[in-house]
Amino acid sequence: MWNVVAMLVFALAALAVPAFANQDADALRRELEQMRKNFEALRQDYQKQMDAMAERLRRLESQPQPTTATAAPPAPDPRAAVRAPSTPSAMDLLSPRQPFGLYGQRGSGQLLFDIGLAGDFVGNLTQRNVDKAGAGTFRGRENRFFPREIELALFGQIDPFARGEVRLEAGEEARGQETGVGLAEAHLTLMTLPFNTQLKLGQMRNRYGWSNQIHEHDLPWTDRPNVYRAFFGDEGLSEKGAELTWVPDLPFYLEALIGAFNGDNETAFGRGRISEPLVTARLRTFFELGDEHAIQLGASFAHGLSADRLRRMYPGFDIRYKYRPEGWLHPLLTLGGEAIWSVRREQRVRDLLIVGGSVPGDCITGDIIPGALIDTDGDGIPDSEAPNTTGPCIQLPPTENPDTVITVGNQRWVTRLGYYLYGEVQPFRRWAFGARYDYVEQLVRGRERSIQPYVSFWPSEFLRFRLAYKLTDRSSDSGFSANEASARKVNELFFQASFVLGAHPAHPF
Amino acid sequence: MRPRLPVALAVLAALTLTVAPAGAQSKVRVVTTIPDLKALTEAVGGDLVEVESLTRGTQNFHEAEVRPSMMLKLRRADLLIENGLDLDAWVDVAVQGANNANIVQGAPGRIEVSRNVPVLDVPTTRVDRSMGDVHPRGNPHFSLDPGLAPIITENILAGLVRVAPQHRAAFEKNRQSFLARLDGEMARWTKAMEPLKGSKVVVYHPDFIYFLTRFGVVQAAAIEDRPGIPPSPGHLTRLINLIKQEKVKAVLVEPWSDRKLAERIAQDAGVKAYVMAVAVGAVKGADTYVSAIDYNIRTLVEALK
Repeated sequence: MWNVVAMLVFALAALAVPAFANQDADALRRELEQMRKNFEALRQDYQKQMDAMAERLRRLESQPQPTTATAAPPAPDPRAAVRAPSTPSAMDLLSPRQPFGLYGQRGSGQLLFDIGLAGDFVGNLTQRNVDKAGAGTFRGRENRFFPREIELALFGQIDPFARGEVRLEAGEEARGQETGVGLAEAHLTLMTLPFNTQLKLGQMRNRYGWSNQIHEHDLPWTDRPNVYRAFFGDEGLSEKGAELTWVPDLPFYLEALIGAFNGDNETAFGRGRISEPLVTARLRTFFELGDEHAIQLGASFAHGLSADRLRRMYPGFDIRYKYRPEGWLHPLLTLGGEAIWSVRREQRVRDLLIVGGSVPGDCITGDIIPGALIDTDGDGIPDSEAPNTTGPCIQLPPTENPDTVITVGNQRWVTRLGYYLYGEVQPFRRWAFGARYDYVEQLVRGRERSIQPYVSFWPSEFLRFRLAYKLTDRSSDSGFSANEASARKVNELFFQASFVLGAHPAHPF
Repeated sequence: MRPRLPVALAVLAALTLTVAPAGAQSKVRVVTTIPDLKALTEAVGGDLVEVESLTRGTQNFHEAEVRPSMMLKLRRADLLIENGLDLDAWVDVAVQGANNANIVQGAPGRIEVSRNVPVLDVPTTRVDRSMGDVHPRGNPHFSLDPGLAPIITENILAGLVRVAPQHRAAFEKNRQSFLARLDGEMARWTKAMEPLKGSKVVVYHPDFIYFLTRFGVVQAAAIEDRPGIPPSPGHLTRLINLIKQEKVKAVLVEPWSDRKLAERIAQDAGVKAYVMAVAVGAVKGADTYVSAIDYNIRTLVEALK
């Protein structure tokens, strides 16, 4: 019996072994296949890690060891959108650029805009009669030391499309007056307009001529040139409106500008309405004569109306040359000049007739001039043209005022010229010596010439002292007499101290 | 007939002139602020780019004068490459006069290569101008440190790819080829400088800190004790004593700095003053990126032997 059982067990075992053997081989094959796959995955993973480590090692090796700051981790670029250079379509040109990440490339902790403060103090000494007549360069502030311009400037990107700039200014306007604070400039510039144009909107110093756009503390002289002060007032031309610039694609640099402004400047214009705008235009070009010589040429034009709607035009030209020897940090020689013509339509009053009680249609006789204008309401401003300007008689226009004051006169063009020339030599980095010659035909009467030698000293890039002497010779004291005093020959000594705190934009050529 | 039509046609023609060349030009137009970046961009861009620099190597980049000729170069640029760290902040004024929307602040066509650079001399205290013309974000003179070329060229590559993605492979290949060549030069430079590790020098302005640190040379002091401010007589006396006491071996000076002053200090201290190439093109024989570094290595080897 036991033998039978043993034989059966043996027989079953003998049958079972091949089956188990077959199963083991399959499992082994599967296991081997799995291991092969795992090994391949491991190898690939290891290779990737090796590649990453190699790149990391290259980076680490490229860093100097004793650093004082850790490298910023690589940040994802928000401006990942790519752009192939291709000819833009008309629609591309007419639409603004797409938004992109602002300050994506700036370091951390940066302000979104820059802040700068410039201080400019001026002292002047002159004769007693000049002081009494208030006829010095700084009128009403003769023989005083005063803060002329303390300027707080804020500037930077508004958004991806525009830059903004605001300049608040404080300074002494006249003797005994408290220092006032005003808005010197506040404007935005649209930087991404089509056709390579830019639009500047707001209140700004007009880009007219070379020196007009420069603030007092940045000028190469203590005072603004006489021609600007005579034709545009002490502050020069600063207006509210818009300027459009275009830089065409030419082999040389050319900037074209056109602007429209209110025309608030009382000395030159005074209409003060954007509906009857002051229009400005400027062309500027630049040539480099080798690496050391550079010359800039500009032509400007301003056309507007006076408060009584008389036309005013100011064509002007400017030139600037610099010689900077190779390797110098500053120019050795700077030469420049500007010439401006004042072409003004002016009202010449010839007769003043009081015709109280006259009625429309009445004929006023006398020395009637062709082109006569009539002031029918007596405010001094002509508001009507005579209906008959050729005969010896002016017929009264309709008026309800029984005591109409009629001013009869004519208009004529009055042209005046003003210019300055200057030269500056800077043989040392911290010292510059220069002189400016001014000539201007005054708007009322007479001519004025002046010569102004000066010396400037910069202890550092942010601090400057200047000493200047100015001799002025006027052919007439008209406009320069008051308080029983007048000033035709004027001797003035200027002292100027200027500083900059914080950011200050680089100076253009 | 009033001349309105001819005027309109003239304006249209002028506008067409401004647009047409953009497509006709196949190369990527790149403008860099300094010549070192021009050299590196040419290495990465190869024949596919046309690169101009706004400044020359002989200029002090801190005080570059913004000329309209810069605006002319920027006028048609596809890409503007800045150094950053306030070295070339003046470029903003030039960009404003160029009327090119591609390169205004924050546009895709404008990059700063200081990104990811391990910056040295970062002020750790409150900064004001009593310290001179300090750079609040750190020393910006890193471009001529050959060890930083991989990072700088990586940034340049990213900028080029952003404006010309179709050339990515070529740019990457050019970069790898340039870095491989630089690796070979680097081995030579490192070997030459190995015996001079730990040597001390005095500089006029801290223009070489990255380069000196790379090769283990110690900047003991600067003639300008405050950057951009003329040194006081007291500082110069202390400097001469320091050179003697610390066994400083040389005074290094930029081509535009006051060489007479540097030579006088060196003479009084019993050492010599040497002019270094602060940028590509700063001195004769330093016309390329590699030759500028070569020049500086040769100068240091001679100065510190």
